[in-house]
Amino acid sequence: MNSNPPETDNQQSGASFRDPSGFVFHHNQVLYRQINQQYQDTYLQLMDSGLYDTLVEKQLLIQHVDTPIPAPAPDQAFKVIQPEPVAFISYPYEWSFNQLKDAALTTLKIQRIAVKYAMSLKDSSAYNIQFYRGRPVLIDTLSFESYQVGKPWAAYRQFCQHFLAPLSLMVYRDIRLSELLKSYIDGLPLDLSSRLLPLRTRLNLSLLLHIHLHASSQKRYAGKKADTRRSVSQSALLGLIESLQTAVKRLKYSGSDRGWAGYYQDEHSYSSSGLAHKQQLVQEFLAIIQPNTVWDLGANTGLYSRLACDAGANTIAFDFDPVAVDLNYQNAKANRESTLLALVQDLTNPSPAIGWQSKERSSLFDRANADTILALALIHHIAIANNVPLDQVATFFQRLARWLIVEFVPKEDPQIQRLMVAREDIFPDYTIEGFESAFSRYFTIHRVEPVRESFRRLYLMERL
Amino acid sequence: MIILYQTLAVIATILFDNPHKPHAYLDPGSGSFIFQLILASLLGAAIVVRAYWKRIVGFFKGTSAEGEEDEEE
Repeated sequence: MNSNPPETDNQQSGASFRDPSGFVFHHNQVLYRQINQQYQDTYLQLMDSGLYDTLVEKQLLIQHVDTPIPAPAPDQAFKVIQPEPVAFISYPYEWSFNQLKDAALTTLKIQRIAVKYAMSLKDSSAYNIQFYRGRPVLIDTLSFESYQVGKPWAAYRQFCQHFLAPLSLMVYRDIRLSELLKSYIDGLPLDLSSRLLPLRTRLNLSLLLHIHLHASSQKRYAGKKADTRRSVSQSALLGLIESLQTAVKRLKYSGSDRGWAGYYQDEHSYSSSGLAHKQQLVQEFLAIIQPNTVWDLGANTGLYSRLACDAGANTIAFDFDPVAVDLNYQNAKANRESTLLALVQDLTNPSPAIGWQSKERSSLFDRANADTILALALIHHIAIANNVPLDQVATFFQRLARWLIVEFVPKEDPQIQRLMVAREDIFPDYTIEGFESAFSRYFTIHRVEPVRESFRRLYLMERL
Repeated sequence: MIILYQTLAVIATILFDNPHKPHAYLDPGSGSFIFQLILASLLGAAIVVRAYWKRIVGFFKGTSAEGEEDEEE
């Protein structure tokens, strides 16, 4: 199932208009790609040179098959292909540090291989990479062009903007700066990145070259005609790619070594038997639902998300904290958990629809594809810390999925005591009765179970 | 007259047009383009120097300098 927002049948996708080589569209809710005649030779080169097979075999490029369905724009069409569907389309501003880093390295690896086959990536947009069964892969089959020795890499600037700039800002300034990618849809401007990076990054040769001097050069030569007679030899091009690889590989985020991991292990209000009981209840409820796709909201490092994976569901583990998401991603990667995708998401300000006509990148709600929501130890962060009335919390969940496994954390709980320590109690309705009454307006409550040795309750609900 | 213009146009094309002119749909940016020309030649030279250095070291150590590193994980 593809998760793009429903578009009129055969209509060109809102994100697919820049490249004249072709476009993607939906037909009967399946994603297809029209390849235009002007791209025919390049497409045949990709397929016949062996590059496509090599990249697919190395799990770097999404696989596709030819399809007989009619092209939506037949006068320009060469053919229509059907790419392997990606379960959920995520965006760079929803990725943690190591997800963006792996996407960057995947892009460079593809470019290195492509040059060997006399082809080159004509763009290096981070949006062309998606996490497919846990691994970053290129989803844009039309991203290649024929490479002639001497030709510079047209996507060099885009690579620096989409990958190197945000990654270096996350390491040298603040991990939360990936949020800037929401404002700058074509990657971070290099002059801005150069100004935001600390002075000491000028001592880092890679960043000095690819960010700082690159930014100065853009300013200096802005609007000037490039001397296009000069060329870049193949070894020079490979040198450039290798230098970018070194730059990216050397960027390491050490936040997770600074005690965060321990923080997450200790961060709960349960005795060990209470924790085991909560896990057992979640497993029981999942067994009743038998979900296909679960969204675990406030997933932290994914303890309960993995119960959903074990129950056979494709699971997305959303958390507001980029450090928790990064730990979750790295664990999933190390254990080759192909059905778990960790993503950064602030539920109090979910990803909006952005880009040209607000249609290039879909909002979180437009991409909702789950049948089940897990909302454990989450309600109090939304209702108390963010002052959202319980009725609105219920409608939020109701918009997202049919089934809901939700934990109610009452005021007696130590976590809430902590949240309330410096503020007045303006939440008279935040009680078990108030919670059940608000949620009963939108859901049927199938099960209610108190969690052992705690004040909390776990509910199994179904949308009315 | 037309022939003269055509001849001039052909000469201008030979002189100023270039097979490496970026004609892709993505604008590489003139500043980035010029910067890449300079930077890539330096980085390419560094690779050549390194390859020779490896050969020299290999010669003295008695090992082969071959065994190009791959992009594999």
